[in-house]
Amino acid sequence: MPMERILSPNDPITAPKMPSLPASSTHITGTSVLAIKFKDGIMMAADNLASYGSLARFKDMQRLQAVGEHTVIGAGGDMSDFQYIQAMLDELIIDEFTAQDGHSLGPAEIHEYLAQVMYARRSKMNPLWNAILVGGVKDGKRIWKINLVLPPRRFLSFVDLLGTTYSASTLATGYGAHIAQPLLRTAVEGKEDILTAEDALKILEQSMKVLYYRDARSIDKYQVATITARGISISESRRLETSWSFAEGIRGYGAQTQ
Amino acid sequence: MPATISISQPQQRQFNPYSENGGTILAIAGADFSVIAGDTRQSEGYSIQTRYAPKVFQLTDKAVLAVNGFAADGNMFVKKVRQRLEWYRHAHAKDMPLRAIARLIQTMLYARRFFPFYVYNILGGIEEDGTGAVYSFDPVGSYEREACRAAGAAQSLVQPFLDNQIYFKNQTAAPGTSHPVHLPLSTVLSLVIDSFTSATERHIEVGDGLEMYVVLAKGSTAFQTLGGVRGIQELTATEDGEKVFIIRRELKKD
Amino acid sequence: MNSFAERFSTTTAASQMRNAQKLADEDELDTAMWGSNAGFGSLAKGVPTFTVPAVADPTAFLRLHTDDHADPSCRIKIQHGTTTLAFRFQGGVIVAVDSRATAGSYVASGTVKKVIEINPYLLGTMAGGAADCQYWETYLGMHCRLHELRNRERISVSAASKYLSNLVYSYKGMGLSMGTMICGWDKTGPAVFYVDSDGTRLKGDLFSVGSGSTFAYGVLDQGYRWDLTDEEAQELGRRSIYAAGHRDAFSGNSCNLYHVKEDGWRFIGNYDIAKMHYDGPGNVAGSPGQGYGYDVRVEGRTSTNAPAVAAAA
Repeated sequence: MPMERILSPNDPITAPKMPSLPASSTHITGTSVLAIKFKDGIMMAADNLASYGSLARFKDMQRLQAVGEHTVIGAGGDMSDFQYIQAMLDELIIDEFTAQDGHSLGPAEIHEYLAQVMYARRSKMNPLWNAILVGGVKDGKRIWKINLVLPPRRFLSFVDLLGTTYSASTLATGYGAHIAQPLLRTAVEGKEDILTAEDALKILEQSMKVLYYRDARSIDKYQVATITARGISISESRRLETSWSFAEGIRGYGAQTQ
Repeated sequence: MPATISISQPQQRQFNPYSENGGTILAIAGADFSVIAGDTRQSEGYSIQTRYAPKVFQLTDKAVLAVNGFAADGNMFVKKVRQRLEWYRHAHAKDMPLRAIARLIQTMLYARRFFPFYVYNILGGIEEDGTGAVYSFDPVGSYEREACRAAGAAQSLVQPFLDNQIYFKNQTAAPGTSHPVHLPLSTVLSLVIDSFTSATERHIEVGDGLEMYVVLAKGSTAFQTLGGVRGIQELTATEDGEKVFIIRRELKKD
Repeated sequence: MNSFAERFSTTTAASQMRNAQKLADEDELDTAMWGSNAGFGSLAKGVPTFTVPAVADPTAFLRLHTDDHADPSCRIKIQHGTTTLAFRFQGGVIVAVDSRATAGSYVASGTVKKVIEINPYLLGTMAGGAADCQYWETYLGMHCRLHELRNRERISVSAASKYLSNLVYSYKGMGLSMGTMICGWDKTGPAVFYVDSDGTRLKGDLFSVGSGSTFAYGVLDQGYRWDLTDEEAQELGRRSIYAAGHRDAFSGNSCNLYHVKEDGWRFIGNYDIAKMHYDGPGNVAGSPGQGYGYDVRVEGRTSTNAPAVAAAA
């Protein structure tokens, strides 16, 4: 066969650079993000794995990011697009800070901004390939007439590459939406104002563990972000305590049949 | 083994900019009132994304818009309609009349003829002559004024029920009597609730919550009916005379 | 077409889309959208502007997401399926249409107004994409009015139909779908022009358009004469739409009948097709006084179809 390059529009080398869309398998991707409401605010968790297709490529990826004083975002999907979003939001926060007008962006504003950006990009057929959770707590409005300050308000919302948005007291992206969300709903719904930070942490830890057992693109190293009226804290990476001994007892499917 | 090196092509997977988020909307016009309703479940495939995402929006004191289809397009469309109505208010110092809003929605939808908003719109409210009205639209802007219309996931379950109960299709009036042209508000509200409880039973994408908006014409006698309605909330913003209310009900969550 | 010519031409679909995209990109929301111009939607600039998806082949994109013939499961369903007819005769123009709109196999509406009242002297019929017909015929109405203001006389049916056909031809290949008859009365007398989204424009005495047109033609051709009386002509219109409604699954519900004369159009009536089958159109001019249905007409005259009275006994 002659070893010559044939100029064709499909040739990966000579093809004109199209605004190519990320095919999840050939780019650096992150998996699920989980978040719940609890008594004092929002808690969010995501593992530290950035995959390259089925390769566990980077094990120290931070997928939770503070945006301003009141908000944390957590992203699944394309990590380069997430980094672009981080840069964009950091710039936004700096611009707002520079104004020094006594206002600061809360989670609701950041979510709205992000949703508009994501929708605009999908409308240009050039989406930011992510599913993002936005969580936060910001002081309630002051009603001057009666000198009343409303209590801090929790905010938790979702936005994805299509610009689809929704809020709920428990949210999960990717595989988490299928595996963890039912567990989170059972543990949280109706108890949003009762659960303590310790309770919330236990619920997320348990859900991350269940995800790790079944999601092949996950890792047992994760971080947890806690957002309350007092501020944001994003934990150091921690390990999931897992046990695989049960596997020895499994019989009847897979390769092991005896 | 053949010495073929396969260079993986940069997969140019065609991005699909649409999704479908389930749910159902419905509107019924009375003689001097209009009811516009929608469930509050938002889903994608078999997953429920949230149990509360409104699909019905108050535009003015005489117009309420329900949107169904792709949620992101729906929310964006409502946002853009509201922006245009605000500009109209600044220019004319009054709210846009219902039939004008209907035509505005047609032109806004048709402007996206080649990249449609995947949204089924139902507009309900009160016309300038004080009559209750419902306008229904297809995603690219064809529209029609009707007495009642259901759209969305359970359209094919709800519309036949409405045809039978509102238009009295396939019903024969008792000898010497005739079917009423307009139904009273209490009957209409019952029909709306029954439509949604039934749709919830038989369609997996419908349920969780129900929001019903009631728009009353100036001096509508239907006002009396609303006194006894549980949990009703008034949303009227102007002194024009029309009144807007919202009634919320729970639907089954399974 | 070769790509070089296409790149510099101004009339191809590709260049139309390029221009539309340019306009859309420039400024989707400009000052013309508020103030006294507010409320004109995509017409705020005076000419309609359209958003086009940023893909290599926007037409294929549209077909992928909207064409329910190619893919019945596709998401955006556009209303299709119709029977419409119009014919010229001694007493003017008869326009008759059905009222069914289907989306796939679902009857989306049974009360569609498929005759668009462009102005008191012009009617347009609607077949194909409901929005395409409604929007562009309304737009045609605006331009007919501008013609009146500029020229101090009504536009001819010929000119109006040509305006429409040139307009849709400029969007050829982009996926518009309309088959319409522009009907009216002008200086030349009664006139009917067929215009479709391919750009075809035909002058003629008699047309029927839509999925039920073959059935309508069958009745129409058989009963058509130039010297029909008004009553006979109206009855022929009704009877033809009935036939289509009866035999075409995508047509039905009811028939809307219009009659155009020298002093403009007049709405004659709305007739339920099921009712026409069993009882006829009711007490109207030209009515046969009984149902159109075969079994109704031959009742008591065949061995398998005994009279109701005999059957009951």
